[in-house]
Amino acid sequence: MSEPVRSLYVHVPFCAHKCEYCAFYSAPASGDQINRYVAALVREFELIAGGCRPDTLFFGGGTPSLLTLRQWETVLEAMRRCGLTGAAEWTVECNPATVSADKARLLRDAGVNRISMGVQSLDETLLDRLGRVHSRDMVFRSYDILRGAGFTNVNIDLMFAIPGQTLDIWRQTLHEALALGTHHLSCYEVIYEEDTPLFHQLQKGEIDVDEDLACAMYDELLDATAAAGFRQYEIANFARSMPSDPGGSQPTVSEWPDYACRHNINYWRGGDSHGLGPSASEYVGGVRSRNWSNTTLYCEQLEKGRRAKEFAEALEPLARAGELAAFGLRTTPGWPFDLFKQRSGFDLRTGWHDDIHRLIERGWGVQTDERLYLTRTGLRFADAAAEMFLRP
Amino acid sequence: MDAAHIRNFSIIAHIDHGKTTLSDRLLQRTGTVADRDMQEQHLDAMDLEKERGITIKAHPVTMYYTAKNGEKYELNLIDTPGHVDFAYEVSRSLSACEGALLIVDAAQGVEAQTVANLHLAMKQNLEIIPVINKIDLPHADIPQAKQQLEDILAIPAEHAVLASAKEGIGIEEILETIVERIPPPKPTGEKSLQALIFDSYFDTYKGVVILVRVFNGELRAGMMVKMPHSGKTVEIKEVGSFNPKPYTRPKLEVGETGYMTANIKSPREVKVGDTVLDSKNPASVLPGFKEIHPMVFSGIYPINTGDYEQLKVSIAKLQLNDSALTFQIESSAALGFGYRCGFLGLLHMEIVQERLRREFNLDIIATYPSVVYRVQMTDGTMKEVDNPAFLPEASYIEEIQEPIVKAFVICPGTNIGDMMALISEKRGIIQTTETLDTRRVMLTCKIPMNEILIDFHDRIKSITRGYGSMDYEPIGYEASDMAKLDMMVNGEVMDAFSSLVHRSKAENRGRLLASKLKEVIPRQQFQIAIQASVGGKFVARETISAMRKDVTAKCYGGDISRKRKLLEKQKEGKKRMKAIGSVDIPQEAFIEVLKTN
Repeated sequence: MSEPVRSLYVHVPFCAHKCEYCAFYSAPASGDQINRYVAALVREFELIAGGCRPDTLFFGGGTPSLLTLRQWETVLEAMRRCGLTGAAEWTVECNPATVSADKARLLRDAGVNRISMGVQSLDETLLDRLGRVHSRDMVFRSYDILRGAGFTNVNIDLMFAIPGQTLDIWRQTLHEALALGTHHLSCYEVIYEEDTPLFHQLQKGEIDVDEDLACAMYDELLDATAAAGFRQYEIANFARSMPSDPGGSQPTVSEWPDYACRHNINYWRGGDSHGLGPSASEYVGGVRSRNWSNTTLYCEQLEKGRRAKEFAEALEPLARAGELAAFGLRTTPGWPFDLFKQRSGFDLRTGWHDDIHRLIERGWGVQTDERLYLTRTGLRFADAAAEMFLRP
Repeated sequence: MDAAHIRNFSIIAHIDHGKTTLSDRLLQRTGTVADRDMQEQHLDAMDLEKERGITIKAHPVTMYYTAKNGEKYELNLIDTPGHVDFAYEVSRSLSACEGALLIVDAAQGVEAQTVANLHLAMKQNLEIIPVINKIDLPHADIPQAKQQLEDILAIPAEHAVLASAKEGIGIEEILETIVERIPPPKPTGEKSLQALIFDSYFDTYKGVVILVRVFNGELRAGMMVKMPHSGKTVEIKEVGSFNPKPYTRPKLEVGETGYMTANIKSPREVKVGDTVLDSKNPASVLPGFKEIHPMVFSGIYPINTGDYEQLKVSIAKLQLNDSALTFQIESSAALGFGYRCGFLGLLHMEIVQERLRREFNLDIIATYPSVVYRVQMTDGTMKEVDNPAFLPEASYIEEIQEPIVKAFVICPGTNIGDMMALISEKRGIIQTTETLDTRRVMLTCKIPMNEILIDFHDRIKSITRGYGSMDYEPIGYEASDMAKLDMMVNGEVMDAFSSLVHRSKAENRGRLLASKLKEVIPRQQFQIAIQASVGGKFVARETISAMRKDVTAKCYGGDISRKRKLLEKQKEGKKRMKAIGSVDIPQEAFIEVLKTN
């Protein structure tokens, strides 16, 4: 029996309302459908239980917090039965409009220790514009509920370069969010994903994209987070470290900030991970696969006792190494050469010699004895860099 | 049939004046085609011909007609292209005839094309029979059409036949006039066979089918004949005529028109204009046609570089039945490998491109068309340049001469001001202005061919809301202040956009191209300068600012596979881009700009 998979993702494909920018698979749902989904998910837990002992667990969506107390109880109970609880980092995404004290306590008691709040903005007009169901006040109220329930590790998701967002509005949101005193911040520039209302508005010319403004907002983000004691550890992710012991020895700078999301680091570094629920992707034993992005189809398959795979691929070793290189460079620590060799079987320094050289030449990359990482400018061109490092 | 009872004729007319309908009526009236088999436009075989109402290939058809005098005649109608681009084909066809029907639309009157084509017929000393067609139309103005025949074409109108091909009026009279007025063919008096090759086409089963007009002797299957120009001696397998489908005949006699086959596999072995002679007892060679010279050149490239071979095969196939089309390999830094094609004129170019797209399903892009320039070198030699990219260094050039055409523009009198402005904008010089009737005028002007290549015809149509017409004939070369316009990205020339333009227009065109290129070249991680240079001097500049970022904000487990595929696709796409200097330019950008020309 091979080593158990140490990372588990669960997708909850329901939302109260679909947001204007969202391309994730989700749909408004009836109670019956959610019950059916929960039963199928339980079945899927059972199917993978033998090979999975998660150190990191992540419930994303959709809106996981949309499940009722009863539904959560069923899910958590099954997880306990399958030995899937007890992860060192267990995150659940919450929509500020769906957080209740009961639910928060239930999750906390079950072992959930990290909450990711999809705040996006603290400006009412922009929240409307994005199609979010929550209000600014709900964000603060939810945060208090979560703190009250004992959650200390909370992430806040924000978006910038939203159509209609000025630099001032962004600055205001950013500072208010930082003032909450959370330990983690994820900030995304708006992505115009195909098949989203936002994308169609862009196509129709109803929206102007202002690159200079987006860049100014990003600069503001880097400055404000740094000033608040956050460290950027990936293009869109910022986290604090625990205060160092004043009496201790000279603090050593670790590779990641203490509150960095281990679950996501595992993705960027190409670790194995199970993905359950409709549309969830997983990478296990060299095979990447994805479940059907259709809840009914997903349920039907699991009711027949099998996983609901829509797609699977096993990359050639070099292509896989290229992918590892490309996505690992999104993180500020980049790739330690030893680790890359260990994970991919290839030496980054020789196999990607010319690409590394081009990165450095453009001022995008830095190579030390130990590792390769992108500079502040390089991170702004991470897609171009990734493209370079991919191998057919 | 004895020569005295043979009449060879063609029909010349402006597009839409009813040439094809009239041809069909003649086929019907002579019983060549049964009424029940009659479909509209019998003679135009290609879809494109039907669609655009033009005839591209010559179609000979043999009809039998018993005239009022009780005698039976063989009438050979040699249909000709109606457009002056195909003047060469027209003159080939006309050389097989003794007469021509000149059709004028009773409602529209004489058009520019009628003038150009009539000039060709007159040069061949043909007997012209004017036919005023469409007299049934409510706004037909017969006296005016007659007046125009006399005034503009200098043709006596008293014998003009009044007809309506559509209604079947005047068909009988036309046939009688053909018998009466067109002279019968006369044998040349030589000792043996002389047959003029006036066209050929390729048939999958029979090989090359040669269209001939017998001027002397006779042509029959089994004869050994030689074609002096190609030096080939062949045995004739089959002779015949068209009705309009080919049918075999025992022989073709003096004055008759038809076809012969001889198991010839390649159209290149047959030279249009050559004379077919008896191999054992050859007579003298008939005066042929002058060598054909393409007037307009353009590079044709496959949009998918993988289609290069297919493009070659397709152009070669077209050439089988279009001897006027020339092509040779050309390569461009921007567009890869393609072919430099020579065309008789604009319509010919358009038709070839259209046929490649339609009949061969090819995605192609054509470069900016060029005429053939004559470059007088300082060492006294003369170079012909049909691709501006190959223009010699300026210091070796004494002068550049450009082809000039005489253009006939007919337009409503109310548009004359705009028309004169257009002609002058196009560097044309108006030579005469004639009033055709109460509403129309004809402007005759001398104009550089280069200026009418692109939008001249469209502009005339738009100024006159469709009522104007234009035709032209080449009249030679004149020295001109031409300059080479180069477009550059970051200092490197993009060859696909190089063109020769008159110095007075170079700057404007450079500006236009630069701003167009700015629109279509994607931003890159560095700044890009687009410059237009005329003879080494910059006349326009646009800057594409550098990208400030290229990053997707959100990328987690579920996104990796999709994102990787997207980036791989981009990377693959960049391989297909043309790197000019360090700038990656997608082929679509080139295509976009070339299209807007």
